Amino acid sequence: MLAARASTRNAQRIARSFATVADSAGLKVAAVDYNQPTSAVTFLVKAGSRFESKPGVAHALKNFAFKSTAKRSAIGTVRESELYGGVLSASLGREHLALTAEFLRGDEEFFVDVLSSFVTSAKYTRHEFEEYVAPVVEGEVTAASADPATQAIELAHALAFRSGLGSSLFAPSHNSITAEDIKSYAKSAFTKGNIAVIGTGIDPSVLTQLVEKSLGTAPAAGTTSSPASSYFGGESRTEAHGGPQTVFIGFGVAGVPSAELAVLAAHLSPEAAVKWSQGLSPIAAAIPQGTSVQSVYLPYSDATLVGLLVQGGNAADVKAAGKAAVQALKSAASGISAEELKKAVAKAKFAAASAVDSRDGLVSVLGSKVLAGSTTTLDATLSSFDGLTATAFKTATSALLKGKPTRIPIQALSLAFTAKWYLPETFSHNDCDVIVVINREDIGGSAVPPSKRGASKSVNGESPWGSGCFEINVHSSPWVSGRIESFLD
Amino acid sequence: MVGPLSISLAPYVKASRTLSTWIKPIANWYANASGYRKYGFKYDDLLVEERPDVQRALSRLTTREKYDRAYRLKRASQASVLHGPLPKEQWLKPEEDVRYLVPHVLDVVKEDAERLKWDTMKVTRK
Repeated sequence: MLAARASTRNAQRIARSFATVADSAGLKVAAVDYNQPTSAVTFLVKAGSRFESKPGVAHALKNFAFKSTAKRSAIGTVRESELYGGVLSASLGREHLALTAEFLRGDEEFFVDVLSSFVTSAKYTRHEFEEYVAPVVEGEVTAASADPATQAIELAHALAFRSGLGSSLFAPSHNSITAEDIKSYAKSAFTKGNIAVIGTGIDPSVLTQLVEKSLGTAPAAGTTSSPASSYFGGESRTEAHGGPQTVFIGFGVAGVPSAELAVLAAHLSPEAAVKWSQGLSPIAAAIPQGTSVQSVYLPYSDATLVGLLVQGGNAADVKAAGKAAVQALKSAASGISAEELKKAVAKAKFAAASAVDSRDGLVSVLGSKVLAGSTTTLDATLSSFDGLTATAFKTATSALLKGKPTRIPIQALSLAFTAKWYLPETFSHNDCDVIVVINREDIGGSAVPPSKRGASKSVNGESPWGSGCFEINVHSSPWVSGRIESFLD
Repeated sequence: MVGPLSISLAPYVKASRTLSTWIKPIANWYANASGYRKYGFKYDDLLVEERPDVQRALSRLTTREKYDRAYRLKRASQASVLHGPLPKEQWLKPEEDVRYLVPHVLDVVKEDAERLKWDTMKVTRK
């Protein structure tokens, strides 16, 4: 009760001080000031991996942030920011690229200038790309591929949404990105219609004035758009290279994220509210020791991915935990008790409200809405939870579960036999976008229909279609995903 | 000589129209007479490369430029083994003698100077 009241109070404060300005120059500026000792300014750009022109360009652009511009060199930016005691950071989401500067109050003029000079006049030189950007991109890709959870979420997006939201946050490990690609992507992305400026701990009028002054030269061209997302789903099995055994089981749905799915994720989450205790979620009691289940709720502007990420030391435990997770999902679809719903709603509401407390959370929650030009308050988000009924929850959940599930098992390399098979014919990508893995453990399962066998190509004299199951990993290319679909239908 | 490039009056000469009309023919004659073009070299191939800054500049050449440079060096070494210049049709034409490396060297020098400036800067509070 107290928490609810506190969050409402918080929301009112935001509602009062959150200014959304669509000024004459077409820039969207919003700022909140809670009288924090530090300020932060984020340039949120519609330049996430969803809009990228070539796989990995968005990732490379993120790492190009704060390199040399017409105004100052890369080292100048870093050293000068250090003198001011500020922190510059860039983070990439599937929809947005966030360029953030955090600094002491009073230094806003310099840091807004740093951000806007990158947006308007970055040089994207070839040598900077080769000397600084490419190694970092490679490092991040390696780190991500070593983490089964990240890999599972990436693959889940690729299978769930294919193109658009399906494109990976990370560049392909063998890519052909050049500085020119990044430059042209940045040129198309860094337009006034694509940028929202969000400040915390800064006076809205000051920020608006600074931004108007410094971003006045940005091209005014319209916003980037991508085709509306649709959900596909599917299954992909991948080898893990170290790390725990991982399974992601999820469902997606196209359309604006609904409160029901946030509540579902909160209902399923076995995370305990108190340390060293077991959560009250239906999953928590059923999972074996040493296995973890995390609920994943990823809302985007026009789609949502909800799921459970199961991780554990050995395959048997993960299987048991996965079964419990699926059981919980199914029983949620057939309706939950009013009390459970109340609990889940409170949990989801707290998560939504407390996200706004942190700077990152504020930017991610409100940024997309500011970009869309809608004035938003936390109240609106929270009140959508209030009206939620058990029947609405049941309808939404069962509709979600009617879709094709996305299953991503990532196993340690324990398979007796794996083979890689590349799509023939016009498939000319050097990167292995499609790998069909034959898993001997699964032999005896459903094989490819005989009508498709003629189209297969054998590897080392063995026909992949002939014996046993097959798995397909679709990494990034929308063209390939489309092709596979037509191939298997 | 501190930097990777020797002291040059060329910018001063180029800036003055009279001077450049007088000196250019002599300079062209001198460049030809120095004979590196007979070995297929460009002038920038002769730049002292045993320095970290020039090495960094060399790493910034495009793949094509790197390949061509290596080819010219090998060809000239072979000519040296044979104790004579290349056949005349392989001599470098004056119009091909472009400064492909110097812009990168200047960039690197500028970056190093800037780094030194930031490293040795004294901060004063206003």
